[in-house]
Amino acid sequence: MEQSAEELNKIEKKDLFTSGHRACGGCGQALAARLVADASGENTIACVATGCLEVFSSPYPDPSWRIPFLHSLFENAAAVASGVEAAYKALNKGPVNIIAQGGDGSTADIGFQCMSGMFERGHNVLYVCYDNEAYMNTGVQRSSFTPLGARTSTTPMGNKTRKKNMPLLAADHGIPYVATATVDDFRDLQRKVKTALSIEGPKYIHILAPCPLGWGHHGELSVQICRLAKDTGIFPIYEIVDGKVTNVLKIPVKVPVEEYLKLQGRFKHLFKKGQPTPEVAEIQEIANQNIARFNL
Amino acid sequence: MEKLPLGLVIDLNQVVPYKTGSWRTLMPVNIMQVPPCTHACPAGNDIRGFLRVLAEKEDYEEAWHVLARTNPLPATCGRVCPHPCEAGCNRRDFDSSVAINCSERRVGDYGLEHNLEHKKLVSGRKEKIAVVGSGPAGLSCAFHLAKRGFKVKIFEAYGEPGGWMRYGIPPYRLPNYILKQEIDNILRLGIDLECNVKVGVNIPLDQLTREYNAVFLGVGAQKGLGIDVPGKDADNVYTGVDFLKQVNSGKWMEIGKDVVVIGGGNTAMDCARVSKRLGANVSVVYRRTRMEMPAITAEIDEAMEERIMFRYHTNPVKLVTDEGRVVGIFSIQMELKEPDASGRARPVPITGSEAFIPADTVIMATGQAVDYDGIDVQTVDNQWMYTNEHLMTSMEGVFAGGDAVAGLETVALAIGQGTQAASAIEDYIEGNVESNLAQPPVVYSRDLNTYYYNKQKQFNKEAVSIHTRLKNFREIYPSFDLKDIIEESKRCFSCGLCFHCGNCYMYCPDSAVKISPSTGGYEFDLDFCKGCGLCAKECPCHYIQLTLEK
Repeated sequence: MEQSAEELNKIEKKDLFTSGHRACGGCGQALAARLVADASGENTIACVATGCLEVFSSPYPDPSWRIPFLHSLFENAAAVASGVEAAYKALNKGPVNIIAQGGDGSTADIGFQCMSGMFERGHNVLYVCYDNEAYMNTGVQRSSFTPLGARTSTTPMGNKTRKKNMPLLAADHGIPYVATATVDDFRDLQRKVKTALSIEGPKYIHILAPCPLGWGHHGELSVQICRLAKDTGIFPIYEIVDGKVTNVLKIPVKVPVEEYLKLQGRFKHLFKKGQPTPEVAEIQEIANQNIARFNL
Repeated sequence: MEKLPLGLVIDLNQVVPYKTGSWRTLMPVNIMQVPPCTHACPAGNDIRGFLRVLAEKEDYEEAWHVLARTNPLPATCGRVCPHPCEAGCNRRDFDSSVAINCSERRVGDYGLEHNLEHKKLVSGRKEKIAVVGSGPAGLSCAFHLAKRGFKVKIFEAYGEPGGWMRYGIPPYRLPNYILKQEIDNILRLGIDLECNVKVGVNIPLDQLTREYNAVFLGVGAQKGLGIDVPGKDADNVYTGVDFLKQVNSGKWMEIGKDVVVIGGGNTAMDCARVSKRLGANVSVVYRRTRMEMPAITAEIDEAMEERIMFRYHTNPVKLVTDEGRVVGIFSIQMELKEPDASGRARPVPITGSEAFIPADTVIMATGQAVDYDGIDVQTVDNQWMYTNEHLMTSMEGVFAGGDAVAGLETVALAIGQGTQAASAIEDYIEGNVESNLAQPPVVYSRDLNTYYYNKQKQFNKEAVSIHTRLKNFREIYPSFDLKDIIEESKRCFSCGLCFHCGNCYMYCPDSAVKISPSTGGYEFDLDFCKGCGLCAKECPCHYIQLTLEK
């Protein structure tokens, strides 16, 4: 399925994930889910793990999805998507875009083995991870994606561990396409979804989706926070095609991490009377490592 | 037996979505606001309007009509206006302002090249209005009244219309043919023009007030004031006004080798540059420094480029005469002390610093006043005409505007006052009580989200070389390329008005921004909007704002 560059760069707005869902105002995940659904088009099956997205978008009788939607357990979205793909193959039907979607918990912690198995078996499925850096649906508990220093309900003094680097883990399964994206650059995000769907085999896209409630910021800042995550180097934007890192988004003007941290309530304890604590320097070090590693 | 589908089937056409709009405490609204350029423009031109037409449609004709709604002289203003709009432009805080003045000039020229005509709004009203003076204020007032269907007659004291634009501004800044075409275009609205009639001398003002329903005085400040020094009555001493009037009437002036211009205003700059073109060595003598000069900065820069000498802190004490002709001036150096009533530093002479400057001609451009010959209206400080807030003078039915009221000001301000006076005259004739509607707020750069704009260099007009320009009176800035101006118009931020960037449409997590089927613009679906404010935050031009829920 070769697509021209024009086709890939086109912005899609079809409202296949439509209004009326119960997400909070300014929800980054709802925005990301719509951008992904619109980019993938009508010929798509969404297999969504339990989590915020499933809860707010699929209550009977008024779901927000305008494409076939399959809800599974918390851990097995990837396994269910693999089954759907196998069924299509067995029935000799298709082609159809199959997108397994999950939050960070269902991707990195609970559902990791299902996803890893899907990658290893080589199913033609796109796995999209909406990364909001904690278990937001159940009350902001720490996940293995929670960054250093972030306060969650289970790490009230701030998280002590670093964030798991899922895109590189996924790439090391030897899958053909891995990409990272944020909701602020919708053109880039939709291009990556369309590129992924044009490739045969398992694919992984990691999307940073701010959670106003869990991150402790106003809903209107969702896009700005994503932009700062990119510009500080905390969330590098790149693609890995056949094991090679390409299309790294260069940072035009590097921003200190304080700017990113200060907007969010979950990092508030890192600033005592406006002065940064030693953790801030450590977070800056993580950003610097990212900048050096991906040559941002 | 009917085969039932597997699982739960929802007919998506039957779905009644849950209306999340009830969660909202703040709601987004589209508010069209005044951009700072229009706010700063004394003529109130819709600058954003014509730049957006150029940027989106690349349509010069429509852009000209947008400009001509408020300003009947775009090609003139595009040349002589000191463009306060560009100083107000929000883009200045981002990279550099949009070249509004150049764009205006190009649009105005396009209108002249293609003979575009002004549109009349209403026609066939009986009331007659007399306009005294065909300068920018008079023309603007006549233009707006004629568009509203009044019968307008202009009385002009000189041989050709245009006032100070014709007889004051030299042709290298504003060529006569441009001005003439623009005036002809205005007169084509059905305005009568009578030249060589000086109201108050050839025809009494009372007669006009009797014969016409209203009178507008746009007489300007055409009386040159000199300074009171010994020798000021010599033959080769002119006031700046007289000098420019004679040169611009086409009279050849014998000015000799050395010319001294006294003063630091725009008239002084014009006199100096005209004298330079007549082949003289020119020095400008000014009591204070460049900082305090009232002339337009660009004018001073261009004068300096043309090798005109500036003597600051210099005050003429005496004009040295020989057989009734000036041969030079005695001057004294000044030092600046605490500011005087005009806010400028007060010059105080330094004793023992007298010097002699040789001169074949002395031009005193040290001030202008209104010529009140036969016009008996109340004045302010014995200088400018008194008007109330509706621009009516002390005489019933006689309105005034322009330099005669505002003091020495710009063409744009005169146009603005002419426009105001036209509204006031219409209200006066119809007996309306003018209601001052509240102006929408102005957008400043702190309100904008400039992340979505790209840095781009400003359009730079290029002057012909000094060597060439001093040889004649031709315009020093040649015509601009149509394409360059289109590129320049795309730099406009469109402050306070939607330019269809689509951010709100794409970023709304609830898909509550829809494309309106009627207008094609974006509108809010308040049934679903949760009021998160993402659209307002990411709107580049501050068109979307949050307000409290009604």
